[in-house]
Amino acid sequence: MLKKKNSGTNEYFVDYSLLFIVIFLVGFGLLMIYSVSSYKAFASTGDSAYFLKRQAIAALLGLVAMIVISFVPYQWWKALAVPAIAVSVISLFLLYTPLGLTRNGATRWLGRGAFSVQPAEICKIGMILFLATIISKIGRNAIRSLRAAVIVIGTGVILAVLIRLISDNMSSAVIVLGISVVMLFVASPDYKPFLIGGALGLGAIAAAVYFIDSTSQNGGFRFRRVLAWLHPEEYSDSGSFQTVQAMYAIGSGGVFGKGLGKSIQKLGFVPEPQNDMIFSIICEELGLFGAFAIILLFIMLIWRLMIIASNCEDSFGCMLVSGIIAHISIQVILNIGVVTNTIPNTGISLPFISYGGTALLLTMSELGLALGVGRGISVGES
Amino acid sequence: MSKEDRSTRKAKSNSNRTTRKTQKKLAVLFFMVLLAFVLLSVRLILIVRDNGEKYKKQVLSQQKYDSITIPFKRGDITDRNGVLLATSNKVYNIILDPKVILDKEDYLEPTLYAMSKYLGFNESEIRSVIADNPSSSYIILKKNVPYSELQNFVAYCDGSLEDPTESDNNAPDKVKGVWFEDKYIRYYPNGSLAADAIGFAGADNNGTGGLEEYYNETLNGTNGREYGYLNDDSNLERTTIAAKDGETLVSTIDANIQSICEKYILKFNQENANVYREGAGSNNTGVIIMEVKTGNVLAMASYPTFDLNNPRDLSAYYTEEELAKMEEENTLTQAYNTLWRNFCISDTYEPGSVAKPFTVAAGLESGAITGDEVYNCTGSLEIGGHKIKCHNRYGDGLVSVQRSVEISCNVGLMYIAQAIGIDRFTDYQRRFGFGLRTGVDLAGESRTDSLVYTADTMGPTELATCSFGQGFNVTMIQTITGFCSMLNGGYLYEPHMVSKILSSDGSVVETIQPRVLKQTVSQSTCDKIIQYCNGVVTDGTGKTARPAGYAIGGKTGTAETLPRGNKEYVVSFMGYAPADDPEIAIYCVVDRPNAQHQDDAKFATGIVHNILTEVLPYLHYPMTEELSEKEIAELEQLQIDLQTEYTQVVSENDPETVSGNEGAEDGSAGDGETTTTAEGADTASGDGTAAESSEPVWKSFEIDPETGYAIDPNTGDLVDPETGAVVGGSSFE
Repeated sequence: MLKKKNSGTNEYFVDYSLLFIVIFLVGFGLLMIYSVSSYKAFASTGDSAYFLKRQAIAALLGLVAMIVISFVPYQWWKALAVPAIAVSVISLFLLYTPLGLTRNGATRWLGRGAFSVQPAEICKIGMILFLATIISKIGRNAIRSLRAAVIVIGTGVILAVLIRLISDNMSSAVIVLGISVVMLFVASPDYKPFLIGGALGLGAIAAAVYFIDSTSQNGGFRFRRVLAWLHPEEYSDSGSFQTVQAMYAIGSGGVFGKGLGKSIQKLGFVPEPQNDMIFSIICEELGLFGAFAIILLFIMLIWRLMIIASNCEDSFGCMLVSGIIAHISIQVILNIGVVTNTIPNTGISLPFISYGGTALLLTMSELGLALGVGRGISVGES
Repeated sequence: MSKEDRSTRKAKSNSNRTTRKTQKKLAVLFFMVLLAFVLLSVRLILIVRDNGEKYKKQVLSQQKYDSITIPFKRGDITDRNGVLLATSNKVYNIILDPKVILDKEDYLEPTLYAMSKYLGFNESEIRSVIADNPSSSYIILKKNVPYSELQNFVAYCDGSLEDPTESDNNAPDKVKGVWFEDKYIRYYPNGSLAADAIGFAGADNNGTGGLEEYYNETLNGTNGREYGYLNDDSNLERTTIAAKDGETLVSTIDANIQSICEKYILKFNQENANVYREGAGSNNTGVIIMEVKTGNVLAMASYPTFDLNNPRDLSAYYTEEELAKMEEENTLTQAYNTLWRNFCISDTYEPGSVAKPFTVAAGLESGAITGDEVYNCTGSLEIGGHKIKCHNRYGDGLVSVQRSVEISCNVGLMYIAQAIGIDRFTDYQRRFGFGLRTGVDLAGESRTDSLVYTADTMGPTELATCSFGQGFNVTMIQTITGFCSMLNGGYLYEPHMVSKILSSDGSVVETIQPRVLKQTVSQSTCDKIIQYCNGVVTDGTGKTARPAGYAIGGKTGTAETLPRGNKEYVVSFMGYAPADDPEIAIYCVVDRPNAQHQDDAKFATGIVHNILTEVLPYLHYPMTEELSEKEIAELEQLQIDLQTEYTQVVSENDPETVSGNEGAEDGSAGDGETTTTAEGADTASGDGTAAESSEPVWKSFEIDPETGYAIDPNTGDLVDPETGAVVGGSSFE
C-alpha cells in the first residue's frame, strides 16, 4: 500500500496517491472554474479566462508551497505553534484596522488590491498547528482529563467566538470549533463523552430549529436563514434564492448531466457560481456521475490522510494530519450539505475546487504539511 | 503509554508511534466522514429522482428563452394633406407588486414615497391596496399612462434625478415592486371626425368598420421578438428582431371638407331636433363629396356619429336609464352596430327623383329618346291597372325632357322609361352600377343585387316607378359613383378612400391610381345631363342648393318609404360644381327629417347649400355668379361665424321652416318636390320646348299666409304654390 522510494541510502515515504489526488482535484477545480465562470467573466471583464488565470496562478504557487513544505521536517513546525496561534488572533483583530476589506457587506478579508486573505483561514491552519502541539505535549493519558479537554475545546471555542464576532463569519467559526472537537476525539481514547456530547448537541440543534420554525409566523426576520432552509420554496425570492437555484441545478442535471460547459444555471441564476455553489454546477453539467466522482476523490483524499495519520512516527504528526482531515472533511461535508439544502445556507467553499486564491494556497500548504508528515514515516525494513 | 500496542502494519520503529487506539479512532472518524458522504450522496440521488423533471422545466422556464414580444406600431391614417386622423401611441400600465414590496420592511415607505411624489398616487390609497393584497404580484393601478408621466419616476429610480429631500424614505434603491407594461393604443386626434369612414381599432389591433377594418392587414405590422439561445460556446445570447411597424394610409379625405360637412350635418340635426317628434333632426343624414374625374372621396360624413376614442360611449344618444335597460335586454350590441354603421355605404334606401337623370341618360344613350320629346302630364299615368301619380296631381301640362327633370315630373319620366323598355332599362341600371357593389375600399358596403329588378322580374309598373327612383334600393356611394360617370364623359371610376400607402419610414409603398371600371354613357349624353341638371338649380326644384356666387347643377330627390303612405320620406340632393365643367360631386341624403311634412327636398338642399358655400372657396373655385344683396349679407354673416368659431347657431339659411300645420291628409299626389324659395314662384318660364298652355290650376289656390302653402279648396290639402305638389302625398294608390 505504501509506496517506497529509494533515494540513496535513506528510504522514506512519499504518498504519491495523495499528491496526485490533490493535483487532480486542483486541476479539476480549474476546469470547472473555467466552465462555470467564463460567461460572467466575459460579461464583466471581457476576458472569459479571468477567474481561471487568477486561480491557476494560485494553484501553481500552492503546488510549489505544498512541495516545499513537504520537504521541511514536520517536527520543526512545533516551534511555530505559539506564533501561529498569535498570528491567527492578531490577524483577526487586524480586521478592525484599515487593512480590513469589506465585500458584500462583511469585513472578512485582509489585504490590498488583488491580494487578500481571510483571517479565518489563517486561524484554521494556525489552530491545527497549535492544538497538535498542545495535544502531543499533554500526552496520551492526560488527554483524558477534563483540563485537557477544556484546553483543546476552549481554544476552539475562543477562536470560533472571535471569528464569529470580528469577521461575522458563522461557517468558519463552526469549522474551527469542529476541528478542535475532532482533534480531541482522535487524541482521546474515550467514546462515551463524545457520544453524550454529540447527542446533546444534536438535541439542542433540533430543539432550536423547532423553536425557530414554530415561532416564525409572527417572528421577525432574524432566523430567516433557518426558515429559508426549512421552507426553501417559500423564501425563494429572498433568503433561499441561492439554495433553490442550486437545487434546480442539481435536479436538472440528472444522472449524467447536461455536459461539460452546458450549465444553464451558471448564466445568472446561481449567484457567483464559481464560489460556494460550484458543486451544484458540477452536478448540473456532469450529473450525479460527476458529483459521485468528486465525492469519491475526497473520500480517497481523506483515506490517504488517515493512512498517514495512522502510520506516522509521533503523536504531533498524527494530530496535525487529524486536524487537516477534520478541516477538509468538515468543509466538504458542509459545502455539499448547503448546496443540497441539507443544512442552512452559509458561505463555505469547496476545498481545492471553489474559486479563491489564498484559500487554495493555504489548503495546499496544509496538504504539504500532511505530505511532510508522510515523508517522516520510515519505510525501511526492520 | 505503558500498554502501548504496536501497529501491525509495516514500518514500526519509533516508540512514539501512533497507537492502535488512535488508529481505531481515525478509522471511526473516517467511517463517520464516509457515512456523511453517503448520506449526502443519497440526498443528491433523491433530489434528482424526485424533482429532476420538475427542476429541469423550472430551469428552462426561468431562463428567458421564450421570447418577449415587441409590439409593432399600427400604421397611421392621414388625410390627403397629411393631417393625422388615426395614430398609435405607446402607453404604459402601472403594475403594483405588493409581494415584492412587503418582502423587506424597509421597501414599503420608500416605495410609497416615490409613488406619491413622482407618479402622483395617493399614498394612503396605495397603502391600503398593498395591505389588502399582500400576496398578489400583479395589480394594475393605472392604465394607458403616457411616458411623460412616468419619466420622473424612472429617472428617480435609476438615480439620474436627484431628490434633495432629507428623509429616510428618500431611498431610490429601495423602491421595489412597481413595474410598467408597455403597449400601443389607438388614438384619433380629431375625435369623431369621419368616424364612420375611419372606423376604430382596439388594443388588439383589430379594426372595426371603415378604413381600419378594410385595411387592417396593411395597417398592422409584425411583432418583433427578443429571445435568448445558447450559442456554440454555451453562452446565453439574446437577439432582438425588431418589430415591423404597420403601413400608413394616406386617405383621399380632406379633413377640412370633412369637418365642414360634419358641421352642417350636425347643425341641421340640432336645429331640427324635437321639431315634430322626440329626437334628432333626422334618423340619418349622410353626405359624400367625390372628385368627379377620379372617384376619390373627399368627404364622407354621416349622422349620428361617435367619438372614435370612445366608441362605446352611447351617452350622447341615450339616457342612463335607457342604457341600463339595454344592458338588461342585451340590445347594447345592436345599438353599437346602429351607431357604428356607415350610413353612406351600408344603408340602402329608395333614391327617389335623383334616379331621374339616370333614366334620362339611359334613354338618350340607348336612342330611345332624343331629348326633344314633349310629354303631357295630366297628374297621373295609368300603367298596368295602377294609376301612378305625378307629384303634381293637377298635372304639369306639356313638359319637355329637360323640364321634366327640372320640375321632377314623374309622368314625363314614366313615358321615357316606357320608351326605353324593360331590357334596356335594367341593362342601364347595371351599367350605372345599381345592384352592384362599387368596391369602395371601406368595410361594410351593402349588397344591393337583390334590391333591384332584373329584366325577368320587372313588369311595366315596376319599370314606371323605377324611372323616378321608387321600387329599387341603392346605397349613397353607388348613386354618387354612377352620377359622376354622367358628369365626366361616361367613365365609371371605382370610388376610393385611400390614395397612397406609405411605409413606416415614410417612403411610398403603393400609389392607388384612379381606376376606370367601365364607360356608361357618351360625352354627348353627359353634356345633356349636365344641361338638364343645371336647369334643376337655376329653374327647377334645386334652387335652394345653390351656394352664393357659384353655378352648380344637381337633382333633388324625395323618396317615399315603405309602407307607402306613411308620410315618411328620404329626401336628398345630388349635385356638382362647377356647373359647366363638374369637378366635385356632392350627395346629401336626409333620412326621415324631423318635421311634420318630411317630403321637402330643402332639408337636403339646405345642407348642400351650406357645405358648398364653404367648400367651393376652400377649393379655390372662383365665383362666377353675381351676388345678390341677400347673398352678400349671408357671406358676411358666415365670415363672422367662422371667426367666432361657430359658437352660436345662426339660421340665416332656410328662412322658412315647416311649421306645425294641421291637416296631414292622405296623400295621393306625386313624390312631392317642394322648393320654397323666398323669391316666390316663377316656374312658368320653362326654357324647354314645353309650351305652358295656361295658368296651372293650383296657381289659383288661395295661399295660407301662415305656412306659405296653397290650400286645395276641394280637399283641403296643402299644396306647394310653385310646383303644385300635395304635401305628404304619395305616387301610389
